[in-house]
Amino acid sequence: MRTLNIVAAFLALSSAFLLYGLNYDTRLAESRLQERERLAERARSDIAVLRAERAHLARPERIEPMARAQGLEPMTANNLLPGLTAGEAAITTSSTGQ
Amino acid sequence: MTMTAAGRSAAATSAFSRQRSRFVALVISGLFTVVAAQLVWLAASADRDTGARISMITAEPATNVARPDIVDRHGRLLATDVQVPSLAADPGLVFDADETAEKLAQVLPDLDAKTLRKSLGDRKRFVWVRRALSPRLAQKIHNLGLPGIFLRDEVRRTYPSGRIGGHVLGQVDIDNKGLTGLERWLDAARGIETVHAARLSTKAPLRLSLDVGVSHAVEDELEAAIVRYDAKAAAGIVMDASSGEVVASVSLPGVDPMLGVEVRDPDRIDRVNGGVYELGSVLKLMTIAMALEQGKSPESLVDTTAPLRLGRYEIADLHPLGRPMSVSEVFIHSSNVGAGLLALEAGADRQRGFLQRLGLLDAIDTELGTSPRPLVPDHFGRTEQVTIAYGHGLAVTPLQLVAATAGLINGGRAVRPTFVARDDAAPAGGPKLVGADTSRRLRDLMRLNVTDGAGTGRRADVPGYDVGGKTGTAEIAAKGGYRKKSVISSFLGAFPMSAPRYVTLVMLFEPRGVAATDGEVTAGRNAAPTTARIVARIAPLLGVAAAVPGG
Repeated sequence: MRTLNIVAAFLALSSAFLLYGLNYDTRLAESRLQERERLAERARSDIAVLRAERAHLARPERIEPMARAQGLEPMTANNLLPGLTAGEAAITTSSTGQ
Repeated sequence: MTMTAAGRSAAATSAFSRQRSRFVALVISGLFTVVAAQLVWLAASADRDTGARISMITAEPATNVARPDIVDRHGRLLATDVQVPSLAADPGLVFDADETAEKLAQVLPDLDAKTLRKSLGDRKRFVWVRRALSPRLAQKIHNLGLPGIFLRDEVRRTYPSGRIGGHVLGQVDIDNKGLTGLERWLDAARGIETVHAARLSTKAPLRLSLDVGVSHAVEDELEAAIVRYDAKAAAGIVMDASSGEVVASVSLPGVDPMLGVEVRDPDRIDRVNGGVYELGSVLKLMTIAMALEQGKSPESLVDTTAPLRLGRYEIADLHPLGRPMSVSEVFIHSSNVGAGLLALEAGADRQRGFLQRLGLLDAIDTELGTSPRPLVPDHFGRTEQVTIAYGHGLAVTPLQLVAATAGLINGGRAVRPTFVARDDAAPAGGPKLVGADTSRRLRDLMRLNVTDGAGTGRRADVPGYDVGGKTGTAEIAAKGGYRKKSVISSFLGAFPMSAPRYVTLVMLFEPRGVAATDGEVTAGRNAAPTTARIVARIAPLLGVAAAVPGG
């Protein structure tokens, strides 16, 4: 009987500790998760800013003068080889267009 | 014997109880040690936790709207949300309203210290001090360390492409809700997503039909045209002829959606979809289409030898040929008399019905909302019939004119103008406007107007791209009549004319006669060559193959 009592008391105590520990681990994991989420959110926000900046830097009114300074200009019919079929011409054109 | 037994038993009991109390003491001290350790650990890690708690407290009232990005047809960014710090205050936590206001005013000189002091004395728990700060200013304010003053992130709309598509995109208010243009449509079509923190939208971006590259090329050429022809303003449209997708919509002077001053400036209204104009002879395309649909052929003759008498007025041609003209000559010489006679022959009901079918008599609905109503005379008398036949007395939005033209020349199927990319590439099957034969003849006429040495549109030609079109020079209506020399000159074009893929419209507002045009203001001298420059630049961008010389 006494042995049983001791064992039961021990079990009760140890499970209390275990639960307490688990509870703490969970909170810790939660706070870590929050931190990760905050990090991810900040990264997302940075990406948004960088994308906006990239779009701003790549806007045609800025690119065009640079391209022209390099001696580039819009394609004309004279840039195509005589004898090209319409299909081939279309491929050439659309690949420059994108 | 019994004593001994009892004494032995007592000794055993006391030994056991000592053991037991030692055990209990051990357990209890163990528990205290754990609690103490826990306390130490909590104290050591406290800062992280309180940080989270503070952010939880301050993440309160203000709500924001997270908006999906807007991209062009190739995925290039036109509008996006970014997080910016904003300054708010909790008056309940502010120690000294006067001092706080004074210190803030030092960092933000344009801040009204008096109003701020008043709002900091309020009983409220939350007031905005300044929305959308630069990161540098935010840091400065943070360094002041004022109690009750805190920074919080908000989402704010930005338009990284500047003025490109400015009129189409519209605007958002301070809470990021759509106010005008596509931003407003976006709220209705996609539903707004209210967020209580500075969260960015997770929705897929809205893909427009606009093309940033093409829009820029059109804008650039129109800007050059304003300078070259000394015009007050200009507008240009490029529309997919079969789907009605607007690839470029440019109105100059343009607006930057971020600058409210520009958006409200009446000189900067959207001339593509925000106003109605009498566009003059470009509307002869509709008159000729009606005549062809009625059974006339391009060779049918019209007696244009004498000026057309309408009561007190007399309509005459600028350069009369002095002989009857064929329908195709009426078109390429842009004969007002000829167009008037064709309209009179068709009759008022038919003319009105035809224009109605083309969608030129009603306001049109697009993603930008309902356009202004066209100005249509109540009664189609002889005078109205004749003037409308050559494009006066009927004012329409340039966008609806382009949409009607697309429907006429794409084989005869009506198109609905749209600013949002269509999901499927299949041409929209709108109602039938004209027969395939009429459509082909119109295409031939438009091309002839550019290739013919006498055609008004000959300066619109671009080698290899098969451009066609019609010029229009409309005197601007003013009090008590029309102002001579004050015109809107326009060129309604399409390319490649054999199977049109794109319809274009170029409008120049009040160009002046300059040396380059020999002092003339007619569309053939300014709008037509501008169209040529535009087509030469945008056709390669749009993937339209040039016919190879000698190929």
